[in-house]
Amino acid sequence: RHPLATFFHLFFRVSAIITYLFCDWFSNSFVACFVTILLLLSFDFWSVKNVTGRLLVGLRWWNQIDEDGKSHWVFEAKRVTASTEAEARIFWLGLIICPVIWTVFFFSTLFSLRLKWLALVIAGISLQTANLYGYIHCKLGGQKSIS
Amino acid sequence: FAGLADVSISEDIPVEGEITVPVGSHSPDEDYSTLDEPVRDTIMRDLKAVGKKFVHVMYPKKSSALLRDWDLWGPLVLCVSLALMLQGGSADSKDDGGPQFAEVFVIIWFGAVVITLNSKLLGGTISFFQSLCVLGYCVLPLTVAMLVCRLVLLAGSGTISFIIRLVVVVAMFGWSTLASTAFLADSQPPNRKALVVYPIFLFYFVISWMILTFTPQ
Repeated sequence: RHPLATFFHLFFRVSAIITYLFCDWFSNSFVACFVTILLLLSFDFWSVKNVTGRLLVGLRWWNQIDEDGKSHWVFEAKRVTASTEAEARIFWLGLIICPVIWTVFFFSTLFSLRLKWLALVIAGISLQTANLYGYIHCKLGGQKSIS
Repeated sequence: FAGLADVSISEDIPVEGEITVPVGSHSPDEDYSTLDEPVRDTIMRDLKAVGKKFVHVMYPKKSSALLRDWDLWGPLVLCVSLALMLQGGSADSKDDGGPQFAEVFVIIWFGAVVITLNSKLLGGTISFFQSLCVLGYCVLPLTVAMLVCRLVLLAGSGTISFIIRLVVVVAMFGWSTLASTAFLADSQPPNRKALVVYPIFLFYFVISWMILTFTPQ
């Protein structure tokens, strides 16, 4: 029921991975590839966190700072989800597989000593793992306060 | 109150008196049937928040908007533009430009993380991401300085151009440091303020140094 959300959920993550793998074909410039992948990863983080999670599986997480400056992480789950089994499966598969792929990239970058890509791979791992962690938290339920 | 009914709390976590009620605009939107409208609203809301913060950096008054609704989009955009402008002027090739770009990136983010850890270890009340947000947004004056320097360097690179660049960079460095101190130092007890301000001073000093010593090939 949400084909556009499903498409965008996968589009940014997969484009980032493909661009990283084939950046030599697209452009000679390290900077252009770096910025492109970084922007794709950021858009992916934002859209998964704010849009596709809410629409595909009815889960949402965010950080809220109240009046006296303390920060709370809020994890919310809709009891009746309006999504289909297939969409939920695509959501979770996309959410889990991509951080694993970026971790593989981390080790391949480290061992092949292409260290200038390391910052990007670390950024990719952090952004995607953050979403994974947040949604698993929502799924398991409960509210946590982290100051 | 539909949003409240959906929050589930597991049995073995003691419920304390700090449960925050999700405000209306954050609750799951169950009634939207199209994808366009809510996404556009979300995007506009986030864009406006980013814009408001940029304005706050240019006119630093002690307000809580920068501190409460943190986001890292502004720092990302600023970091990327600063790193792009600090590229060595040689032609795009695989070897040149790469390390410099990643270096600037790493210096800015790693430096911001270290300052945040420092202020937290000193007992600051501000949260990790809020501090990153403030430090990142306050790079804006230095990005403007970089832009001005590049324009001045187009005109020539003699002594006069150096003096102009020096004045601009020093002024923007002062602005950045003052702006971020205005937001961050208040979260510390009074006798620790200097300990918090000093790393911030160093951080912006290093960035200003990179800007001032930039010469295109």
